[in-house]
Amino acid sequence: MILRRLLSLYGLLFFVFVYAPILLVVIYSFNANTLNMMIWDGFTLDWYRQLFGMETSLTQSATFVDSTDQLWGAVRTSLIVALSTSVFSTVCGTALALAVARYRFRLARFYRTLMMVPMIMPDIVLGIALLIFFITIGMNLSMLTIIIGQSTFLISYVFVTVSARLAEVDTSVEEASADLGATPAQTFRKVTLPGIAPGILGGWLLAFIISMDDLVITYFIAGTGNTTLPIHIWGLLRRGIKPEINAIATLMLLFTLVIAAAGLYFRSRRQK
Amino acid sequence: MSLARRKLLQLVGLLGVPTVFLLIFFFGPLLIMLVYSFLTPGLYGGVDWIFSHLNYGRILGWADTRYEKFDPVYIAIFLRSLKLAALTVLASLAVCYPAAFWISRMRPGMRDFAIFLVTLPFFVSLIVRLFAWVLILRPTGFLNQGLMGLGLTGGPIEFLYTDFAVILGMTYVFIPFMFLPLYGSIEKLDMAQIEASSDLGATRFQTFRKVILPATLPGIVGGSIITFIPALGNFIVPSVLGGAKVLMIGNLIEQQFLSARNWPFGSALAMLVMSAVLVLLIAQFRLAKKEAQS
Repeated sequence: MILRRLLSLYGLLFFVFVYAPILLVVIYSFNANTLNMMIWDGFTLDWYRQLFGMETSLTQSATFVDSTDQLWGAVRTSLIVALSTSVFSTVCGTALALAVARYRFRLARFYRTLMMVPMIMPDIVLGIALLIFFITIGMNLSMLTIIIGQSTFLISYVFVTVSARLAEVDTSVEEASADLGATPAQTFRKVTLPGIAPGILGGWLLAFIISMDDLVITYFIAGTGNTTLPIHIWGLLRRGIKPEINAIATLMLLFTLVIAAAGLYFRSRRQK
Repeated sequence: MSLARRKLLQLVGLLGVPTVFLLIFFFGPLLIMLVYSFLTPGLYGGVDWIFSHLNYGRILGWADTRYEKFDPVYIAIFLRSLKLAALTVLASLAVCYPAAFWISRMRPGMRDFAIFLVTLPFFVSLIVRLFAWVLILRPTGFLNQGLMGLGLTGGPIEFLYTDFAVILGMTYVFIPFMFLPLYGSIEKLDMAQIEASSDLGATRFQTFRKVILPATLPGIVGGSIITFIPALGNFIVPSVLGGAKVLMIGNLIEQQFLSARNWPFGSALAMLVMSAVLVLLIAQFRLAKKEAQS
């Protein structure tokens, strides 16, 4: 009995450990104290107003110079990269998953193992390998190199997500569709695709979130002038710790939570 | 067109683009990195296409000519990274094992929600989660404020920029990596076996050691490996929470590429990390095979 109580206490502490740091960032993003961000000094929205370029009562020294324009530039870059990468990875990952699950060929098992490699590759190794590669073949570092670089490992994430879904879908329905005279294209569009759509959507969302958050690989292959959001924040952290970061972090948190909730919503709809 | 031929065409259509893409942009770079690790660094950045094994010698001890000096500091940094990654694995196990056990005993609805709550932070930006720990650990941070408020310490303790901060940070960001494999094997525990063990007079500790631990070993090994790999090559956590004092192999590699501009040496260091990962994976593969046979 005592052991069980202790275990529950430990479990609750575990969740405090997981969520308290994140919660602190959110709470202190509303702190009005401009001198010492650790001491609560009343509620304010100034840090958010500052990010959106609105009038604030903040002094020059309380904020980072020029950071707002850079921030929105970084957000734009991140969104373009994440959208392109996630769409490309989803198409490639889904195609591979379909081939491995629905066709019999000798290399199928080989592909399954192979697709694990990019996921376990330490990101710094892949990052520098891509950097060397792009420089050696004379490709200028740009948004395109970021998109290519991130896709190399995100394809695997989509592959795994879609494969899991394909394994659940009953193949007899596809066979029935073919027996009833549907062309392969019709069967694919009307039977297979709707069946695995939740998996494709899930893989796409996962790829999108991971792409938005990727720091290490992007850091090496972004070159100058293509700052993504995580790299921008990393740069801010190196310039100093200012309350502005709390507000940016909270907005990012909100954004990922909305996407995660959307993903969950689609998953629960699939189960009905 | 025959059916077999059409199937083949479909297969090529599905596999073609992704396969070519990965061959060029995933395996190509790794291959070039391997080649680079055997080249000579140029005087002003760049490389000279002359074969050299001294990049490895500089790390492992056989180079002492020209500027390619052997320095035991590199192997020391590598060993230090192995140590920090191993400690991170141990800390993660200590944090996640009891929690996974607790959650596995919940009602099904609660259980799913609890697992969702554990995985959710994985989707929160890494840099945001690390920033949170900067706020907590810095001299004027919450931890020091709390400790001083309780009168436990007179002045602020330097938590930030220490090994402790790096291990704590890595443990925190890799929680889902350790938790999910652990949970997977704990969930499958046979409660009847545990009850039988205590009915037969085993103490709680004996039951844990002889029944629970062996049954959950696959989860422990799996979680440890996928936590260890990203921890070993990490350079974000040590550079945010470790400052300049805690140098890991990841920071060293980054320096070779972005400030020292010695790409061949950096590639050799990266190959070192990769071989460590490979050894681990082969060991796990062998273990899993043995288990499947018995």
